[in-house]
Amino acid sequence: MKLPVGKLKVLLVFLFVILAVNFLAAQRVRDDAPGQRDAMPTGKGTGDSQHVLPEAKAAHAKTTSNGIFYHGGPVLRSAVVPIYIIWYGNWSNGPMASDSQTTVSLIDSLLGATGGIGGSPYELINSTYTDTTGAVTGGLALQTQVFDSYSQGATLSDATLQTVVASHLAGLGTDPNGVYLVLTSSDVNESSGFCTQYCGFHTHATLNGADIKYAFIGNVDRCPSGCEIQTTSPNGDSGADGMANVIGHETEEAISDPDLNAWFDRRGEENADKCNFKFGPTQTTSSGAKFNQTFGTHHWMIQMNWENASGGGCAQVLGGAFFTQ
Amino acid sequence: MRAQGLVLTVFLFSLSLFSVAQSTTTAQTAPPAKPAQSQQSAPTPGRIQTRTRLVAIFSGLENRLFQAVQKKDQAALTPLLDDEFEIWIPNETGDPVPMDDWLAQVTGAYTLKSFHIRQMSARDFGSVVVVKFVYGQQAESKGKDDSGEFFVVDVWEKQGDSWKLSDRYISRFSALQPVHPMRPTGRQ
Repeated sequence: MKLPVGKLKVLLVFLFVILAVNFLAAQRVRDDAPGQRDAMPTGKGTGDSQHVLPEAKAAHAKTTSNGIFYHGGPVLRSAVVPIYIIWYGNWSNGPMASDSQTTVSLIDSLLGATGGIGGSPYELINSTYTDTTGAVTGGLALQTQVFDSYSQGATLSDATLQTVVASHLAGLGTDPNGVYLVLTSSDVNESSGFCTQYCGFHTHATLNGADIKYAFIGNVDRCPSGCEIQTTSPNGDSGADGMANVIGHETEEAISDPDLNAWFDRRGEENADKCNFKFGPTQTTSSGAKFNQTFGTHHWMIQMNWENASGGGCAQVLGGAFFTQ
Repeated sequence: MRAQGLVLTVFLFSLSLFSVAQSTTTAQTAPPAKPAQSQQSAPTPGRIQTRTRLVAIFSGLENRLFQAVQKKDQAALTPLLDDEFEIWIPNETGDPVPMDDWLAQVTGAYTLKSFHIRQMSARDFGSVVVVKFVYGQQAESKGKDDSGEFFVVDVWEKQGDSWKLSDRYISRFSALQPVHPMRPTGRQ
């Protein structure tokens, strides 16, 4: 069979038109796909901002939401998410009063299996975050902890911090469903911006063959004006009380966005970022310290968390009122 | 036969492209795939920081300042500036630009279409805080494109209950159009 040249040309033109229309349609769908315009939360996003004059803004479809969006990644859904602590530096008699076993005891209490933050009405705010197989439970508890006396020196970089975590996996256990916290004494610096850019951060990496979630939290007594909300604190230990606030922040995010691909908003802010240093109504202890949470026998001043329900907002407890400050 | 072969080749090529385009489209619009830990073996680099209280405070002040410039709102701008505010920016004379000249410039033939601030740090020196950040803008000055990215160092001074910007040092490091992070990249 032979096709006439004229018919061949018509057929080729027809195929070309189909191809072109198909590609144009595909591009349009990509532009409109939900979530595709969200900034990635990668650490430098929480202090970042972007403003565009109204006339310069592209038209976007409006969607109703709780102010935070799911991007397909997993959340940590264990009934009780295991927390592992690496106490780095000098936690016996460091240069500041809070570099002490008192701080260790207070943080252990905060993360204790009973009377701690895990399962509290506050932590249950995190149960409003789900992935395709289930929801965060709101349970978390200290599993085990180790002490590290400056194995990587008194100044950590992001790389040596990761080395610290990796070096303790053998002792702590390699757990892709847990969160590892590196808590550093006040004489330890993290050279990527501790105290000037951030009070802590969380991230993840493949270590020992597993996807390990870990966070850096420094002793905030190193920079009270940057990372502490008050100098007189509810437990009489400004370092521990300040770190408790950062621990609350980082664990909430590490559980609801462990691989940095689950829950964040269009600015790249995760749930706790959206309520950073916002505490809601407070009470005052006899010593004059403010607090907004009580777990077991201890009062704490811990920032609110973003509730992914009822339109979204910063709350002190699941289902409670939203507050802007 | 050659013509038939050509038609067949073009047809198959079109079909394959059609298929690729459809699968890409589906991937962008379908509900999130079931996550699997085993698929996370190549983690996205990056980290999520808890910004300091000072970064939160001065991020708010810097945004107010640039928004006032954007709206040419001198009444909103001047309360943020110290009476002796100067801005140091590379120019022909090397002289700093005094406040009145700068205000005349930004409220005149200057249009700030968009801006973004990133990588802010704030260091506390008591009543003075030094704030450093990367600033990107899309702007026009006297009809000419003035877009780019800059390192900015601001010196804020506490006066009573408010903070005033006393000195600004700006250095352009890129004439490129600021790139707005519109989709996950793994690192900002």
